Amino acid sequence: MSNHDEELTPTPGQRAINLFRRTDVQRALLFTILWTAVFVILGLYFYPKWMPEVMSVDMKSMERIMIGFTIISAPIAGLVLGIATQAITNRHKGDTPPPDGPAVRTNGPIVAVWTVVSGIFCLIAIVWGIVEVNTMANAATTEAGTAVHVQVIGSQWVWSFKYPDQGVESDKLMLPINRPVVFDVISEDVNHSFWPVQLGVKVDANRLQTTVIHTVPTKLGNIDVKCAELCGLYHAYMETSGKVMTTDDFNNWITTNGGHVA
Amino acid sequence: METTTSTTSSSKRLISALVFVVLGVAIVGVVGFTLHTLSADPQKPLYATKSADTIEIDGKSYPKASAVLGVYPDKATAAKYGFTANRHDYVQYGPSTHLVLPAHTYVTITIHAYDSGEHLNNPYFGKVVGTIGGTINVDGVDVNNIPSDNVEHTFTLHGIPSTSQDPLFVNVPLPQVKQDDKGNNIPTNDPGTQGAGHTVTFSFLTGSAGDYVWNCEYPCGDGTYAKFGAAMSAYGYMSGKVTVA
Amino acid sequence: MTTLHNTSTHSRPIPNPSKSLITKLNMGTGLVVGVIFAFAAYYAFRPNADTAGFYNQQNKALLAAMLFWSVGFLIGIGAFIGPFRWLIGKDLTAEEQLYLAGDGQGVKRYFKYCTDHKVVGIQYLVGVMAMLAVGGGMAMMIRTSLAVPGGHFIGASVYNSLVGMHGITMIVAMIIVATGPFGNYIMPIMIGARDMAFPRLNALSWWVLFTAIPVLCSAWFLGGIPTGWTAYAPLSVQAGPGMNAFVATILIFAVSTAVAGMNVTSTVVAMRAKGMKWNRVPIFVVGATMSVALAIPAFPTFMLAMVQTATDRVFNTGFYDANVGGSGWLYAHLFWIMGHPEVYVILLPGIAILMEIAPVFVRKPLFSYNAAIMGFAGIAGLSVLVWAHHMYISGWTPTLNGPFMVTTEMISVPTGLLFLVMLGTIWRGKPWMKLPMLGLFAVIWNLLIGGITGIYLSDVPADNYLHGSMFVTAHFHYTLMGAALTGAVAGLAYWFPKMTGRMLNEPAGYTAFWFTQIGFQVLFLGMFIAGAEGQPRRVVSFAAMYKYSNMISTGGAYLVGIGFIILLWAVIHSWRKGDIAPQNPWGAKTLEWTVPYPVPLENFDEAPIITSDPYGYGKGN
Repeated sequence: MSNHDEELTPTPGQRAINLFRRTDVQRALLFTILWTAVFVILGLYFYPKWMPEVMSVDMKSMERIMIGFTIISAPIAGLVLGIATQAITNRHKGDTPPPDGPAVRTNGPIVAVWTVVSGIFCLIAIVWGIVEVNTMANAATTEAGTAVHVQVIGSQWVWSFKYPDQGVESDKLMLPINRPVVFDVISEDVNHSFWPVQLGVKVDANRLQTTVIHTVPTKLGNIDVKCAELCGLYHAYMETSGKVMTTDDFNNWITTNGGHVA
Repeated sequence: METTTSTTSSSKRLISALVFVVLGVAIVGVVGFTLHTLSADPQKPLYATKSADTIEIDGKSYPKASAVLGVYPDKATAAKYGFTANRHDYVQYGPSTHLVLPAHTYVTITIHAYDSGEHLNNPYFGKVVGTIGGTINVDGVDVNNIPSDNVEHTFTLHGIPSTSQDPLFVNVPLPQVKQDDKGNNIPTNDPGTQGAGHTVTFSFLTGSAGDYVWNCEYPCGDGTYAKFGAAMSAYGYMSGKVTVA
Repeated sequence: MTTLHNTSTHSRPIPNPSKSLITKLNMGTGLVVGVIFAFAAYYAFRPNADTAGFYNQQNKALLAAMLFWSVGFLIGIGAFIGPFRWLIGKDLTAEEQLYLAGDGQGVKRYFKYCTDHKVVGIQYLVGVMAMLAVGGGMAMMIRTSLAVPGGHFIGASVYNSLVGMHGITMIVAMIIVATGPFGNYIMPIMIGARDMAFPRLNALSWWVLFTAIPVLCSAWFLGGIPTGWTAYAPLSVQAGPGMNAFVATILIFAVSTAVAGMNVTSTVVAMRAKGMKWNRVPIFVVGATMSVALAIPAFPTFMLAMVQTATDRVFNTGFYDANVGGSGWLYAHLFWIMGHPEVYVILLPGIAILMEIAPVFVRKPLFSYNAAIMGFAGIAGLSVLVWAHHMYISGWTPTLNGPFMVTTEMISVPTGLLFLVMLGTIWRGKPWMKLPMLGLFAVIWNLLIGGITGIYLSDVPADNYLHGSMFVTAHFHYTLMGAALTGAVAGLAYWFPKMTGRMLNEPAGYTAFWFTQIGFQVLFLGMFIAGAEGQPRRVVSFAAMYKYSNMISTGGAYLVGIGFIILLWAVIHSWRKGDIAPQNPWGAKTLEWTVPYPVPLENFDEAPIITSDPYGYGKGN
């Protein structure tokens, strides 16, 4: 930065004060705060509103991440948009090029701080994600014993569900509440993707290759089961419904469908 | 390039731009409607015949309706879909793959089936699901299941679960017709008059109005991966719509 | 910066090697020979009476016809005359070479195998605009079909084809949207070169690409493609004859990108003007080179994936068929090893264009040239290590989701550097709000939204929910369309005077800008909501609960459509009748603005000598 119009080199403290006296800095700060607020509101208010009911531990974790990441990235987004908005308020009109600006070619400390800070934000996201993934993996091993096993079979363009322990087959996904569930997913033909929406989990169905996901339904209610991988003509219609029910209801459903409670 | 200013006046430019936008929208619109027409169902919908009778189920009274389908390669009405030409050699559900059923009705469908087969990809679809009593009537006998190696096609009706339409899931397997040496079990027109077919009858209740689809779960697209290409993946042979109105 | 140049109109005798075959060949002869080859190949490989019922026989004949069409067209247009002459121990005469460069041949040279990089640039520009128009039209039909629940406007099979054809048309167009027109027309002038390193290969890259266009269109007449542009196996193996067109398109396109990528890279490495050290290379050149250099290793895997799809379809090899020991995951890997670098192949030139534009319009040097290089290099380097984030939920080795999440999220750091460069450049400047500069602000917003939503998607638990939903569709449209395409359009507005000699009509340009950008936000805001609500992508029909978000999206899509039609009008009108542009309308310091319009055949009468980088704007510089 060229300081040759100033007679004395100011101390760092004075430089900071001078910096915040500049109207462009003040304006950029104001816009930064406004934009940050916009993103915080988006995260806190709109995402939970847009997303379906949280009906499992995984959906809860997913919602936490959507809200959390939005809030973490809010100040960065705010700063980027704050500077851009400030620049727009300072725009040059007319058909001739604007006057020359300061010939700042770089600013080492700023580049360094920017890189380090964005690195820290990135690290937070990574650590958070790894912790969540790890929790999911641990849950899988600890819950396996008590779990309901559901074999999910994708065929072009209908889902079907087998409960091997209970001896029941169904076109609808019925689950008991608060009991871990393990989905063993397989395809009879092309790739599908098993997506019980409100449970917040998803895994592809592959031919001759069982893929496994698990979750714990935590709320009673209806589930939409969809296919999330384009699988041909009726991909859009490869949907069915399901239900998270009380243990008694689930057992009743098993027995009325000719199975045995396990 | 004799002048340095534009050779057209601004009002002329505006008109030219507006005409261009209108033309552009029109071109996209024409292409869109062409695709709309080409991709529309070429078959006339088959309306279920309503009867004056009613039936009481679980203490509720329902009006009755019925429809008759055939499964055979139909030279007369073979489906034409999109840009693919008619495939007379494909077996298809006829006379139409688009069924229109009345809402809140006891619907009885009769299918004349004339095809042979091998075995299902997913044995689940050998089970009868969603019909009244959980059974279908095959040549006068009620059954609730057809072994997965004895199925020729299935009529599997499903749709998109939604708050605005009732769920409807019906799966009906059709038993194979064993082919004789001359291979003449498959008629090419007029179902029910020649060859040795099976007659399958089943009933189910429709809910409120909604859009559903049906498709066959028996893999009959021979020569393609999982036998689900060809006729299976071309609309109008082994798949169709069901409109509950 | 000092440059020596002579702006006097240079006249050369128009070469006329009238006895040479090359004067007789053009697009017409190419079409004729191509069609003959196609029919001959189909006839040679046609199914006979015994094999008529086998789909693989039909696939073989169709694939052969499509590939031979391409070869035949290239022979017919004279692409191989040079190599053929070498085979018999000669080369083209100087007169013939000059003829191939198209000097003095007017509009005709655009329909010939012309080696002039400026002609190739214009060919790419027109070709890309045509592809974007077709792809955009398909987007309008998709959105019309999704306007209301139920999907009654377009039938399921044609809808699935629309989705796939829109996707592949747009991906191909976006890969070449910046490096095609600007990389060919502007970049050699920018570095002070007289042409590309390999002018004949340059012409080859365009005409090879050109032969892919009718092949891709033929998919519509063969029953369409049910697979989307990702063409996942085994669905692609099951698909009908239209799939052959997709396979052949990719095989042909991969050759084109390899040739073009090699040529651009060689040109930048070897053909820079005297004194243009690496730290004096304009940033667009850096970005474009990194982009094509990234494409060189990426595309062969896509080509391989398609070769295997072809052999599965023709010879029943079963690479992707689990029943005989193959795996669909093999395809997914090969595809995404190309697929993720490919999005940065698209994005980098768009951002680089904006970095080229920003210093000119705020009259400040580019802020931290080094940070820009690090940003580009960091993205390019990391992008080859992140592909499996497209496969978090595929069930393939869930243990590796963690490492791929780490590499993916690390990309946010170099991306942040690109933001820093753009923001640092406009900070304390007075941005001159001409059309190119509007693009910069739009891209800052769009890339920010695309970037943040990318961070959600890179996180495994969030991706468990969002993968395969409309949220993903909205996310990548923000990065590819909102950032890369907007950047390319800004580049068009910026270089339009140099490429056509006329100014882009401003009122129409501004109108188009606001229509497209506002429409874009509405369109994809609606799609983000639909995705968050749980609507899968690529569905012809959806439940009534997504009614409002889809209706909003469709409304926005129509605004975008109208905006692009206005832009197309602006381009066509300005090209024909726009205001005559001065040599350097923006007062920029890069070399392309030192040459007159029309740019002479070999660009510079005297080779320029470079003494500084082109960003010497600002007080005290």
